Amino acid sequence: MDDAARAQTERQAIAGFELRAAEMAPLLARVGAVLRWMFRIGAGLLVLGIALALLRREPLGARVDPLAEVIPAVLAGHASGVIDLAILWLMAAPVVATVVVLAGFLRMRDRRYSIVTGLVLAVLAVSILRALR
Amino acid sequence: MLALGAVAAGAAILGSMLGLGGGVFLVPIFTLFFGIDPKLAVGASAIVVVTNSVVGSSVHLKSGFTNLRLAMLLQVMTATGAIVGAIYGVNANPAVIYVVFGIVLLYAAISMAIPRSNRNVSLGDDSLRLGAVFHDPATKQEMAYVPKRVPQGVGISAGAGILSGMLGVGGGVVMVPVMNLLMGVPVKAAVGTSAFMVGITQVAPSFVYYANGKIDPGVVVPAVIGVFLGGQLGAKLTRKLKAQRLALIFGVVLAYLGIRMIFQGLGIHLLGA
Repeated sequence: MDDAARAQTERQAIAGFELRAAEMAPLLARVGAVLRWMFRIGAGLLVLGIALALLRREPLGARVDPLAEVIPAVLAGHASGVIDLAILWLMAAPVVATVVVLAGFLRMRDRRYSIVTGLVLAVLAVSILRALR
Repeated sequence: MLALGAVAAGAAILGSMLGLGGGVFLVPIFTLFFGIDPKLAVGASAIVVVTNSVVGSSVHLKSGFTNLRLAMLLQVMTATGAIVGAIYGVNANPAVIYVVFGIVLLYAAISMAIPRSNRNVSLGDDSLRLGAVFHDPATKQEMAYVPKRVPQGVGISAGAGILSGMLGVGGGVVMVPVMNLLMGVPVKAAVGTSAFMVGITQVAPSFVYYANGKIDPGVVVPAVIGVFLGGQLGAKLTRKLKAQRLALIFGVVLAYLGIRMIFQGLGIHLLGA
């Protein structure tokens, strides 16, 4: 292939990538927005928990409690429960982002990367289910 | 808690300047200077890395630097490796964690000296549909690329995941050079893709450490707040300082911490340690 033919092939490839980038842009924006809101809510919970701990002079727990104990602690208004929930919320943010990516690939009918993303979620599910057991 | 938060902020300033995240500095400082159990330090670091990724990757996603297909393909092996690394890490002898962490720090110090490639790479076979293009505002150019040597990249991802899970570091210290130098991904796309990946990578270890009671809010809360604030300050400072000089100075700091961690693991105490 001579230089002119190679340049022509590369121009065609780049045009294809630009179409692909335009197709991906809404998904990138959605994932970014989900991550921003997950962080804002998590940070808000963390600040609320710290404020409650300072106001009530409550000590922080030595470990994040099991999920079954965190929810009742939050409902009872314990600072440690709110802080534990904030930490678990932040831990869950990338999982939610991965679910959004999977939904995006399914919507684009991209079967190969839907399966790949499904595999990533399955791996994450193993560790999460093991932790919550 | 204030001291932990201040130190975490300092670690994040250094990490942000080098693009390494806070975890690489956090675990050595918490363990060497505060005497915190390495497993609790690694657990805290894992949460910090997730939080940093959640904040940082949203910026890269907005810029279009993140290659989601490449991220997911590499992530299958990275996340699997991270679970294996975390399960080993929670049960490992702390001395092993010290030594392995020290070796990773020495590697990071050496990698500071390797120049990153930012050339517009030639476009090859794109049968995996991983090719992408993004606008680089610094050069005002469209950067098109097709990742090369994908099987090798996927294989190394598993190793990066094992180290990430075991040590609570993001894995960007391995993945950015792998994507850039081995796979031919432009450095901004490599950094953007890695920033998104490290959060997902650390989810699995975070839950493993959580299940084993190794997430201590007394360590995690100041670390998260300190790293978040320090990361913002570090990003601003980076724009004002010369990157090459920073890399040299922090390469020396990383090497020092690496040697201290290895000596700690081997039970050798340096003068003044």
